[in-house]
Amino acid sequence: MTSRPGPRRGRPAAVALIAALMTGLAVAAAPVTLAAAAGVALAWYRGWPPGRLYRAAAWCLPMVAAWLAALAASAGSPLRVAAAPYLAWIAMWQHGAAGDIPAAAAVIAPAAIPAGLLAAGIGWSVRLRSMAAGSGGRSPGSAAAFDRRQWRHQVRSARARISAPGSVPLTTKNGSLVVGAVIRSVGHPASAIAAIPYERIRGHQVVIGATGTGKTTLLLRLWAAFAATALRRHAAGAGRPPLLVVLDCKGGTDARRLADRTRRVLRQAGVRSTAIWPDEASLSLWALPPGRLVTTLVDLVEHGTGGAAYYSDVMEAVVSLAVGAPCGPPGGNADFLARLEPGWLELAYAAGEHAAELALVRSAAGQVRDIALRFRTLLRRLGDGLDGPGGFADADAWYCILEGTAEVTVAEAQARALVDLLASYAVDRGDREILVAVDEFSAVSRRLPIWQLYERARSLGLALQVSAQSWHGLAASRDERYRIAAAADGGIWLMRTAHPGPAAALAGARPGVASSRMLLGRLRWSRRGTSLARTRPVVDPDLIRSLDVGQAAYIHRGGVTYVQVKRLIAAPAAIAGAPRDISPSPLAMTGAASGQDRQDVQDGAGGRPAGRARLPDASALLDEAFGPEPAR
Amino acid sequence: MSCWPGGRLVAWCDGDVTAAEPATRRARPGGRAAGRDIAGLLFTGEMYGVQLDQLAAVIGTSQRQARAAVVRWQDRGWARLEALGPGPPWAWLTRAGLAACGLPYRPAPPGLARLAHIRAVTAVRLALESAGGYALGRGYWRSERRLRARMGNARGGRLGLREHIPDAEVHWPDDAPVAWAGEIWAIEAELTAKPVARTVAIMRELLSRTGDYGCPAAQVRVAGLAPRHLRVIYLCAPRAVSTVARARAALGGDAGRVEIRSLPGAAALPPAASGAGARPSRGQHR
Repeated sequence: MTSRPGPRRGRPAAVALIAALMTGLAVAAAPVTLAAAAGVALAWYRGWPPGRLYRAAAWCLPMVAAWLAALAASAGSPLRVAAAPYLAWIAMWQHGAAGDIPAAAAVIAPAAIPAGLLAAGIGWSVRLRSMAAGSGGRSPGSAAAFDRRQWRHQVRSARARISAPGSVPLTTKNGSLVVGAVIRSVGHPASAIAAIPYERIRGHQVVIGATGTGKTTLLLRLWAAFAATALRRHAAGAGRPPLLVVLDCKGGTDARRLADRTRRVLRQAGVRSTAIWPDEASLSLWALPPGRLVTTLVDLVEHGTGGAAYYSDVMEAVVSLAVGAPCGPPGGNADFLARLEPGWLELAYAAGEHAAELALVRSAAGQVRDIALRFRTLLRRLGDGLDGPGGFADADAWYCILEGTAEVTVAEAQARALVDLLASYAVDRGDREILVAVDEFSAVSRRLPIWQLYERARSLGLALQVSAQSWHGLAASRDERYRIAAAADGGIWLMRTAHPGPAAALAGARPGVASSRMLLGRLRWSRRGTSLARTRPVVDPDLIRSLDVGQAAYIHRGGVTYVQVKRLIAAPAAIAGAPRDISPSPLAMTGAASGQDRQDVQDGAGGRPAGRARLPDASALLDEAFGPEPAR
Repeated sequence: MSCWPGGRLVAWCDGDVTAAEPATRRARPGGRAAGRDIAGLLFTGEMYGVQLDQLAAVIGTSQRQARAAVVRWQDRGWARLEALGPGPPWAWLTRAGLAACGLPYRPAPPGLARLAHIRAVTAVRLALESAGGYALGRGYWRSERRLRARMGNARGGRLGLREHIPDAEVHWPDDAPVAWAGEIWAIEAELTAKPVARTVAIMRELLSRTGDYGCPAAQVRVAGLAPRHLRVIYLCAPRAVSTVARARAALGGDAGRVEIRSLPGAAALPPAASGAGARPSRGQHR
């Protein structure tokens, strides 16, 4: 499309006339002009979209209605009500001429403010659209500068909003999850507060953000909001209780610190119990159904191919015999290892009709001890976190720490076992709304490809939230990364990252206009040029690269909302005192325990233990109730 | 709500003891049958379930009368009575019974695997509450079921967490006229011998804990604060005594805070119900 010649060209008289008319109109309608100017200035300063001004104008309508009603009641004539704006305009000028400015403002305000806001909305919309099309401003670069300036203004407004106490709740009344304040939205409804419906978090989500961009803050907020909403829905009888399972696949000290912070944040969201695995809580691998247990155990051990396939078949047969013994499946590591012995297996299958199993035991007897050695090594390396007791039902949230950095092979096996346990729990119980959050799962996904985790989660009705520090950290291969991101029906959260292109491209494009401007001379451009309809990306990768800490882009259904995430304040951490013995004995604290006392105990004296005299003597009560202390 | 051994109802407290001065049943005016029922219901609710001979001791009647009381509860939908294992039948509260008592627990029959342990803990409670020093000190028995309910939700709490829960706590008011006033004791009934290392770990955990059960994780063990349990009382079956004693010896300076006693004679599951008309006294449970 080619722009038509502007009115300035060739017709200066007409231009001057139009300008004079516009100026006269602006002066005549000075109150409206002032309100519109104030509205545009405020929208520019706060980075508002035009809709904000339209809504403000709409909110003035009750004032207009009340004003007109008062006029109708006092005048008693509908004609006078119809002429009210004109009469108010006349009265305004009369008051103004008399020098009574407040009275003039009061008389005209009910008519001028909504009209001014409406005019401001229209003018601001025209300005934004012209800048977006590249036709506004003095130079072709003005649009980019305007956009950058507006971004700064929008960020400032969003930061002001989240810093206001109580302005950003954790959830809304209708159960949406509030993440923070909206900076800018494209293709999404414009609102001040960034809230996503609960159903989105029940779908699959992807979170990508480099270290130090506020990804943890975002995740904590999402988890807490999920838990709070699910608990509220459960209390209202509208849903099952929540279960949050976090798989932190990096491990290390940071993971422990984050686990503690997670527990404190979740606690304030209503989560009563958060288990930290394997440090403070355990799960029982042996709670798996026997068939599933055999598969999991065999998969935990590294296999080879070719000739090693025979060995893996033998291993599966032996494990199947040990798990499926007539006396029932093993109850723990020790029980299982004890079964990996030819004598035990023969004895177990000796009674009853187990000729085939006995034959199998005898034929595999030569390998059983080797298999036992492998499992003994594996279970020792896995630690006792999977040896029970406990299950996912025992807590409202599980924070599982996998040492994916320090001990990759162990973490891979643990991840495999945890996912199997969770799948088994979801299938068998199905009484919780489960959100599985995995961070840097690609570090431990060799045994369990992440797309397989996705498929299993989808089939089991689990919500999956995959987070990574970069696009490449999502999964090992390009195809897997795209599969994960494309399946994120709950949306993609992008924070600052060096390579946002692939994820940003998933938001798609939207129609727009691109204009060229004719260069007239040095740094002078004409307003003549051409405009072309073209699509432009919904998400600007360069904007993602420049996001500040705590800013995220939420991509969903071809739109994006840029959010300033509101940080959750957790309860205070444990008091960090000087390292000391975990057992704060009153004797140690007072320094009252004598060396002789300690020596008595270390000597294994069977008599009265050390320090006894320091506590009041309750022997009389105990002797009366239970008799004297028994001899060993 | 909680009750005293004699069936006297006192105010429930979920933290420190606020129980009123106990009174004997003889001193309590009127409404004996209702008072017994309430006492029995509360006791049963707190202990997961009670075997009929122990319930008779709680409400101070014969087993036959105790059975009649439970039948009355059953008629109102408050309790169930079934023979779950050897010995007299077990009574436990239904959802309606727990609701009537205001106890926020999940209704469930006592687990078969825990029958022996539940009976042992009940015997310990009965024996302790029958001692004169207990009434004098106005001790308060805080059951494992209540501790577990505080730790998790109403469904039953965090069974799998590595936070060991004692079989009960005994709270002593600060102004009680006993030397151990203000203390909180952890009660452990040991029927079988665990590995010494495991027993040591449990002892250390109980002795080093500073926070209440159900408190934020950051308060469970805070350096510099006084320990929650000043003593741990182990009531051991004969085969567990040696292990517990060795574990105590391994504690070092904290060994003085662990008391070891024998389980009361009535702690073991009885072979079969006999002498239904007999009226056991609390002393028999020692």
